[in-house]
Amino acid sequence: MDTEKKDIKGITRKRLVAFLIAVTVILLYYTVMQMVSPAKTMRQLKKEHGYVQDEKNPVNDSIFTDSAYLALFREVAFLKARTAMAENDSIYLSLNLADSTVNLEITGVTVAKTRIISRKESRIFRDRYSYIISSLLSKPLTITRNFASIPKEPLMIKMAPKDTSEFKPDIIPDTADYEPVNFIIETDAGIVVYAYQEERLNPGDRLHLFFFDLRYRIHSAWQDMKKIFTFRVPDYHMYVRMRLTRDDAKIIYRALPEQGQIAIYR
Amino acid sequence: MEETNFNGQQEQPVGMHDIPGREEGFSILKAGWFKITIKIVSVTAVVILLLSFFAFVVPSLRDMTARSQTVISNSKTLKKDASYKKQITQLNRDLQRLSRRYNSFTSGQTYLVINTTDNLFFLYRNKKLIREGHCSTGSFKMLKTEEGRSWIFKTPKGKFTILGKQTNPTWRRPDWAFVEEGLPVPERQDDPSRYEYGVLGDYALALGDGYLIHGTIYKRFLGMPVTHGCVRLNDEDLEAVFNSLSIGSKVYIF
Repeated sequence: MDTEKKDIKGITRKRLVAFLIAVTVILLYYTVMQMVSPAKTMRQLKKEHGYVQDEKNPVNDSIFTDSAYLALFREVAFLKARTAMAENDSIYLSLNLADSTVNLEITGVTVAKTRIISRKESRIFRDRYSYIISSLLSKPLTITRNFASIPKEPLMIKMAPKDTSEFKPDIIPDTADYEPVNFIIETDAGIVVYAYQEERLNPGDRLHLFFFDLRYRIHSAWQDMKKIFTFRVPDYHMYVRMRLTRDDAKIIYRALPEQGQIAIYR
Repeated sequence: MEETNFNGQQEQPVGMHDIPGREEGFSILKAGWFKITIKIVSVTAVVILLLSFFAFVVPSLRDMTARSQTVISNSKTLKKDASYKKQITQLNRDLQRLSRRYNSFTSGQTYLVINTTDNLFFLYRNKKLIREGHCSTGSFKMLKTEEGRSWIFKTPKGKFTILGKQTNPTWRRPDWAFVEEGLPVPERQDDPSRYEYGVLGDYALALGDGYLIHGTIYKRFLGMPVTHGCVRLNDEDLEAVFNSLSIGSKVYIF
């Protein structure tokens, strides 16, 4: 009886060790694949946005390490993206990280100007002199997906009365309604913009933001996992995380069309 | 009451819920619950650990590897290079051309900006703010009928042009105005019951597709999203806007 029990314990322990080894290997594999992803993304960007030499007019390669040239190139890239967006009548966003401002613009007219209270961005993004990143940002970024804690359009459905006896005049909208404003925007260039409400107006705001952020992180991890477990390196998404006042965040999110455009200046 | 058994020992009275070996049973039950609690705590801890690993640890580690630092040389010989000078001249030319193009979008004309989220308006002349105040914009209500007709009362966003100006405007009530009140919809568009006088204030500016900037008799609702898509202003603001904007002036709604 005792030997039987010992055997079972031994088998269970062996199984547990095997399981732990398998889990560790999987986690290690996942981590390594994630670590490799920024390099892969940079390689891709270099291929798509790197400078292509013109045989007739070759450019000295050391020009791409000259600060004056790169600063000018960055200015031109931002203006190029803004001009392209201003060509149509839609609302777009100009994100100027150098002076921490966010502008909502329509055909070149600034309709709302807000201040970024605090921000954090990807390390790649912090390299202000990167020719590749400036080149990437010379085209408007188109929004591909929105995640937000508030609806884009706060639609309320009202059934029409059958006759005048059923008619009730509209109730005045409740302006005291409160919901924290946090949103995440994914763009076609793989850059993700996070805008979170700065103020903690309600005790639950911090928790709400934590779970909102966690939900998106799980979503991203799941997307990466699907690639990793089919033996592909996931895409690395550069990001800009910023804190805005609640009012500003709400105005920006509600004003931007579902597939709106963004220009970023570093 | 205590009873004596055949052996002369005193017996404890056996209650309805008393079972022999109660202490032992209770301790087994306690150990069972303890094991279950330990299991739940362990599983929760593992889930939290895995979650933090995938959601926080790995992304932070990955960010650390995501480095890019352009090494700046600023060589003086490069600055004398003909191709460098050509590139810089080209970039400067591009910058000037783009700046001119971009500035041409914002002319010095008078224009109106409407914020539908906060229900505010801003009137600009020569790029300077000359008047601001409250307005009322679309309520975001969707009116539905049992027959399947529906209307969404929202103010459109984007760039608009003043297409027409009118003093003492008359409101020609659309179908939804009847449906909303449970009234029968008149078949003819010029039916006398469709016309209502004095409800749009003294002036109206047309933005197209039936959307107007007009006055209101419901002044207490200014600053709230209550309209059917039009923009309502109070009398003084409406007069200022009406006098400042001409046909062709731009209105930016966001």
